[in-house]
Amino acid sequence: MSLLQATGIAKRYGGLTALSDVELSVGEDEFIAVIGPNGAGKSTLLNVLTGLVLPDKGRVLLEGRDMTRAAAHKRVRAGLGRTFQHGRPFARLSVLENVMAGAAIRSRRSEAELRKRAMTVLDQMGLAADAQAAIGSLSYGRRRMVEMCRALACEPRVLLLDEPAAGLNSAEVDQLADRLSDLRAKHRLAIVLIEHNMGMVMRLAQRIVVLNFGCKIAEGTPSEIQRDPAVLSAYLGEGHRHAGV
Amino acid sequence: MSMRFPLLLGIVILIAGLGLSMLLTDYHLRLLNLAVISAIAVIGLNFAFGYAGLISLGHAAFVGTGAYGVALLTTLLGWSPWLALPVAVAGTAIFAVLIGLPLLRLKGHYLALATLGLNVSFSMVAANWIELTGGTNGISRIPELQVAGHALADERSYLWFALAVLAVSAAVAGLIHASRHGRAMIAVRDDETAASMTGIDVTRVKIAAFVLSSIYAAVAGGLFACHMRFISPEDFSYAHSITYLAMLIVGGEGSIVGAILGALLLTFLPEWLRFLGSAYLAFFGVFVLAILVFLPSGLVGFRWPGSLRRDGRSKGPAMVAASKEVRP
Amino acid sequence: MTDFIQLFINGLAIGGVYALAAIGFVIVYSATGVVNFAAGQFVMFGTFAGVAMLLNAELPWPVGYGAALLAMALFGALFFAVLYLPLRKSPVVTIIIGTVAIGITMQNAALLAFGSWPFRLPSPVEGVNLTIAGATISAHAIAVVVVTAVMVALLWLLFFRTSLGIGMRAVAQDIQAARLMGLKVNRLLALSWVLAALLAGIAGLMLGPMWFADTSMGDPIALKAFAATIIGGFGSLPGAIVGGLFVGLSEVLGASYVSSAYKDLISFGIMIVFLLVRPQGVFGERVQDRG
Ligand SMILES: Nc1ncnc2c1ncn2[C@@H]1O[C@H](COP(=O)(O)OP(=O)(O)OP(=O)(O)O)[C@@H](O)[C@H]1O
Ligand SMILES: [Mg+2]
Repeated sequence: MSLLQATGIAKRYGGLTALSDVELSVGEDEFIAVIGPNGAGKSTLLNVLTGLVLPDKGRVLLEGRDMTRAAAHKRVRAGLGRTFQHGRPFARLSVLENVMAGAAIRSRRSEAELRKRAMTVLDQMGLAADAQAAIGSLSYGRRRMVEMCRALACEPRVLLLDEPAAGLNSAEVDQLADRLSDLRAKHRLAIVLIEHNMGMVMRLAQRIVVLNFGCKIAEGTPSEIQRDPAVLSAYLGEGHRHAGV
Repeated sequence: MSMRFPLLLGIVILIAGLGLSMLLTDYHLRLLNLAVISAIAVIGLNFAFGYAGLISLGHAAFVGTGAYGVALLTTLLGWSPWLALPVAVAGTAIFAVLIGLPLLRLKGHYLALATLGLNVSFSMVAANWIELTGGTNGISRIPELQVAGHALADERSYLWFALAVLAVSAAVAGLIHASRHGRAMIAVRDDETAASMTGIDVTRVKIAAFVLSSIYAAVAGGLFACHMRFISPEDFSYAHSITYLAMLIVGGEGSIVGAILGALLLTFLPEWLRFLGSAYLAFFGVFVLAILVFLPSGLVGFRWPGSLRRDGRSKGPAMVAASKEVRP
Repeated sequence: MTDFIQLFINGLAIGGVYALAAIGFVIVYSATGVVNFAAGQFVMFGTFAGVAMLLNAELPWPVGYGAALLAMALFGALFFAVLYLPLRKSPVVTIIIGTVAIGITMQNAALLAFGSWPFRLPSPVEGVNLTIAGATISAHAIAVVVVTAVMVALLWLLFFRTSLGIGMRAVAQDIQAARLMGLKVNRLLALSWVLAALLAGIAGLMLGPMWFADTSMGDPIALKAFAATIIGGFGSLPGAIVGGLFVGLSEVLGASYVSSAYKDLISFGIMIVFLLVRPQGVFGERVQDRG
């Protein structure tokens, strides 16, 4: 049984079809990438999965339980974690406090225990030295790592990442890729990665889902996707459009 | 930040207050009593606005609920103030839940105007439900508080008692701020969506912050009733709500110390401006505006011009550093 | 029935005053994002500008009204310079408290200048009464209704037929885009404050003869203007008009048919119901809930 499953998801914004009949199934411990040109509906799909946006049609199941209309925080408590495309750490909390806010997902943890768990996560992601820093004093890349630590502190079973590599330099991207592989190995964590950085996608993903204009146009292993004509024309088509304008 | 800060804060309040209580004249003791009572209310407002970002312009209505609760229970039913106080506070908390459930779906200035409407409605009911509240004549002969057989009849002994309540209120607020609950409130203010993605039940946190703020307000109201021993609807008009918010912002929102400093300053400032004669209130407004313009993070953000360099620890932009400083 | 006609016209007149105050409030809010808690004090200043020019300086009324409105326009510009410019980058609540602070200063400055004794500001049509369908109605009330209607028409012309007004609307919609289009944004923002002060001035001059001119009259007017904007729709000009008239009518009719003690509770009750059920008001845009 898949851990997270979305079936027949459709979402319209006025006349614009952001998603139409999209399927996604994430197995335990699986690493899936979602790619597609700008405006393809990738972030909208994450919003539907996490409950920030309710779909017009379709269902979202988490470990077999129907979560289509569940509140966002309930899904997080049930095992979904997520980061945002543009990075949204809590600006008025320190790095450590940000991550402690995530660790508080299970009640009945003492302050000391929250602190310890948060420090463990920060350590793992190489942010321990910044624990007491203010968010505003961090670089953009580090700020986004804080957000990832916060999501990890919620102890998700599926981690949904919206373009985590955007704004990182290539050394940071490599480091991020290593850390994500580590995490998955250590915590049996399933990861859904939205990314424009194809190197990272090809290196990490076991399966790739391609969206274009809100439709799923392909799904398969990295090598299958690389050879898929529909994918090629979607990206090329986009290239043509840009070139043509 | 540790658990030591709240304790320290409580002790500093007690020592500073005891010192002042020995130095001041009766008239100024009375003002200080009012400032201390306001400070308790403003610390409460800090939960709603300073932490959770809920713009409430109805805080005085909760102060009033607490005050009327104590006044009615003691004068109509003859209860001891010690029994009336907790009951009035609990009643106010329930009232806040009932009000908060529908109102807290609103945000920003919508919430501000809705809570303002609540306060205006409260005043109108208090002024016109004459059989119960005595209308604009108010309720008088509220019994004085007794501690170990001693009536807290004079300003000085009442101040000692009020200081103790303030110290405990501030320390408890500090503990909450440093706990998961405080972090959740701040997270909700910073970014509701990201907070929900951190497993935080945003609605619940907002209600909790609102109710907590109403509890502090009710405590302040009860103390006010026992101090003045007479209350009337005017004491809880929406103008007072705005004053509480002004105290918080002038002192430094998000900070317990700021809440106390703001309450002290705005209570005493009119007195200090008395030398301006009948123009003092006109200058009061200008003074408050000047603080808003020149101390954007409130009194707690104040730095002597020379001390800027010593603050080398904060690497971040000035505003972020300031907002960090602001919070105890 | 005659009672009703009389009350209805009086309600419309009071409502017209609220509507003008609410329109000023909305213009400032749309253009600058400031929730002006001194809006009621603006109207109070308008009334006392009339007191100063007509009673103290004893000017004939056309000159006195002109001078009062000129003073109000200058005051609007001053408010823009003293409050909006220094605080424009501050959080909403700080600006709210700033307007409250200036409101306190305005009220106490007026108190200092005019004392606490109320004035009776005369109307140009003082003492003239008309009889309509058997009901005796003061000419002033009729005049107020007419002036309100004329002001609304003039505003419509300004906003939809002049380049100045179209520029103001552009600024209200998107300040960055307006700047890129080469509009003098700061001048247009200042103008919106001047316009708000002028409308408040007209409201104050019309209100003076209906109420006693009293330096503490500002706050209740502000509350009514808030209720009017919420009911009509925050940020909407037609909403401010409809909301203002509604609040005025409910106040006057409610006082005689329901309960004079709770007459204000009607408009605030309805305001709260609107906030809960339809926060965008009658004409407002939908409030976006999720980010
Ligand atoms: N709240 C909204 N209201 C209206 N339209 C929206 C909204 N959110 C998304 N859209 C539209 O839906 C489409 C899909 O947007 P989405 O953000 O999901 O794309 P994306 O694949 O994440 O693109 P990118 O790679 O640029 O992040 C876009 O055309 C976008 O403009
Ligand atoms: Mg996206």
